[in-house]
Amino acid sequence: MSMAAEQRDVRDDALHGLQLAARLESIWRTPPGLTGALMSVDHKVIGRRYIVTAFTFLVLGGLLAILMRIQLSGAENRLLSPDLYNQVFTMHGSTMMFLFAVPVMEAFAVYLVPLMVGTRNIAFPRLNAFSYWMFLFGGCFLWISFLFNVGPDVGWFAYTPLSSLQFNPSKRADVWAQMITFTEVAALAVAVEIIVTVFKQRAPGMTLDRIPLFVWSMLVTAFLVMFAMPSIMVASTTLILDRLVSTRFYDPSSGGNVLLWQHLFWFFGHPEVYIIFIPATGMVSMILATFARRPVIGYPVIVLSLIATGFLSFGLWVHHMFVTGLPHLAAGLFTASSMLIAVPSGLQIFCWIATLWDGRPVYRTPLLFVLGFIVIFVIGGLSGVMVASVPIDTQVHDTYFVVAHFHYVLIGGAVFPLVGAVYYWFPKICGRMLSERLGRWNFWLAFFGFNIAFFPMHILGLMGMPRRVYTYTLEMGWERLNLLSSVGAVMFALSFAVLLANAIYSLRKGTPANDNPWDASTLEWATASPPPPQNFDRIPIVTHREPLWADGDTLPVVAGLSAERREVLLTSLAEAEPQIREASPEPSIWPLLTAIATTIFFIGSIFTPWAVLWGTPPMAITLIGWFWPTGSKEDEE
Amino acid sequence: MTANQAKTSLLYWAGVALGPLAWAANLQGVYAIIHLACEKARWSGIALSILLVLTSLAGTVISGYATRRHAGTEWTDIAGGGPRTFMAWLGVGTGVLFALVIADQLLAALMISPCLR
Repeated sequence: MSMAAEQRDVRDDALHGLQLAARLESIWRTPPGLTGALMSVDHKVIGRRYIVTAFTFLVLGGLLAILMRIQLSGAENRLLSPDLYNQVFTMHGSTMMFLFAVPVMEAFAVYLVPLMVGTRNIAFPRLNAFSYWMFLFGGCFLWISFLFNVGPDVGWFAYTPLSSLQFNPSKRADVWAQMITFTEVAALAVAVEIIVTVFKQRAPGMTLDRIPLFVWSMLVTAFLVMFAMPSIMVASTTLILDRLVSTRFYDPSSGGNVLLWQHLFWFFGHPEVYIIFIPATGMVSMILATFARRPVIGYPVIVLSLIATGFLSFGLWVHHMFVTGLPHLAAGLFTASSMLIAVPSGLQIFCWIATLWDGRPVYRTPLLFVLGFIVIFVIGGLSGVMVASVPIDTQVHDTYFVVAHFHYVLIGGAVFPLVGAVYYWFPKICGRMLSERLGRWNFWLAFFGFNIAFFPMHILGLMGMPRRVYTYTLEMGWERLNLLSSVGAVMFALSFAVLLANAIYSLRKGTPANDNPWDASTLEWATASPPPPQNFDRIPIVTHREPLWADGDTLPVVAGLSAERREVLLTSLAEAEPQIREASPEPSIWPLLTAIATTIFFIGSIFTPWAVLWGTPPMAITLIGWFWPTGSKEDEE
Repeated sequence: MTANQAKTSLLYWAGVALGPLAWAANLQGVYAIIHLACEKARWSGIALSILLVLTSLAGTVISGYATRRHAGTEWTDIAGGGPRTFMAWLGVGTGVLFALVIADQLLAALMISPCLR
């Protein structure tokens, strides 16, 4: 820092109370107006956008699910044509997996992790803004294509050769493949931000064994994203190359291999399940501790389980390929891994049950959803152990048994905790409590609706009903169970309507929330609801795993950060000892412009390879603009 | 951090690292040598798995040793604040867990002929 800059550098220890809060707020706030909104790099603003966008895609994907259930509610229904049905189930799966489940978990992390670790913004905030725009543009690209009858129709895993040019000559498979690129770029960006934020921006004293369990879960998830996503990006890019410039990665007649696609896809696809599930376990641990009124039992065991699950998730992918003719011993190895991953999951569940057993549970809506999660996830886990076995998997492969299994795991394992998390953190994010009465309606509708919708699918699968059929004949005897399943699906959809109504009503008329309405123990509850732009007026010092329960109203703090520019405190990896002060980027329009340039590049490159040539300069220009020194305070050393 | 401290801190992570590494080596190794095991060395996969079970357990032993000798008495339970001991205990658990997974895969190798397709 130059001497002049040093002289005018006012630190936060020179200011107090409202004066300090007002100064920090003026430094950290998002500029007003539309331009300001487009320039925002505040993790809370971007996190909220991420959450709302992901839930919008959930509604869209859910509407497609209802369409499918109406179609299948009776034999030989003609609501959807076979072609449209193919697009609908592909859009449903792709939307739910790539535009809802993964982004919504990362969205909560973007909002909550910096608050939980006690810092003022996420690491690389402009990259964070860029990731949101990429996610939004990718999602819009997919859905606009669908509205123009170019929606993908190759299933959410787009197996070759079905997705090859020979069998899919339109642009539908390209749209799917490029949507993957959009969302994976966004996910990778967030993963990098989360890892750096957790490793380098934790509040002083927040040693590795004091990190909140949700943060641990997001750290593990971020590593999963980093190692799993490149595989699918390679797969989708090579698929586009095969289709556009006639490479032969997946063409056996020219030395390619269709099975390569399955390996690349599932090396990503199975960890993907855990990318969705592991953050949900973090949410469960946080909610349980608060409503059981005691710290979660077995903190080290839960962290061990998270790490072990993360590693093991990379050794299961072949269980999606048991019927492809692999050597039986190879299948046996993956059966062993698939069954043994139940051990860390089981350890976590025992820790949670013990916490409830030893605590003084208060059965508010977030806890109800967690209890629902435990019941449903255990059922899904048991059917998972069943399909990990080669003989059973061979029998039920591609039947509705598998559909039932993965919905029990994904909805039970991720959506129930997620809705619980919405009830739990809504007061922090919006400053108002959600209605408890509507919350209970929401839970019971969801719990019964879900089980009525998906449990019969186990039986349908055992009766031989295959996945992805647009209709069936009356003689198959599947009609009654399908009708029951459709009734359940409508009930389940209604539960989300109740959630939406609750959110809209509570935003306007909900009880105002204080800083810590649940009497929770972690740092996000140590600031106002909703938090100010700077998150904390002073950075807290952590002396306990449950800081707010241990230190109460007298949370110790550090001082000395700049009150002149955006600045965060960097700490050491294991011990979280303060190391240096680091400038944090200011709002910028360049992430949005870069995302627009990248979008043009990506969409152009599914139509012509020349897009690589003419699409690169705009990206380069926007990136130069992004990193060009502006002479502002953030550029000072 | 001094060189000695850095060397010592590696011990705490030994179990966390060795267990998953051994398991990954087993999964990929046995998968890769199935054809070899079928045609020439039938026991190669089994031998590899036994070796890697021991490797994983070695991680446990090293991390366990670290908790006793090097990690100090900072295991402060619920309050936290002892990251080195914490990581060492994670190493102990991870080594055991992954040894269990490799042993399960060893059972598969004992029961299933590598030539069976």
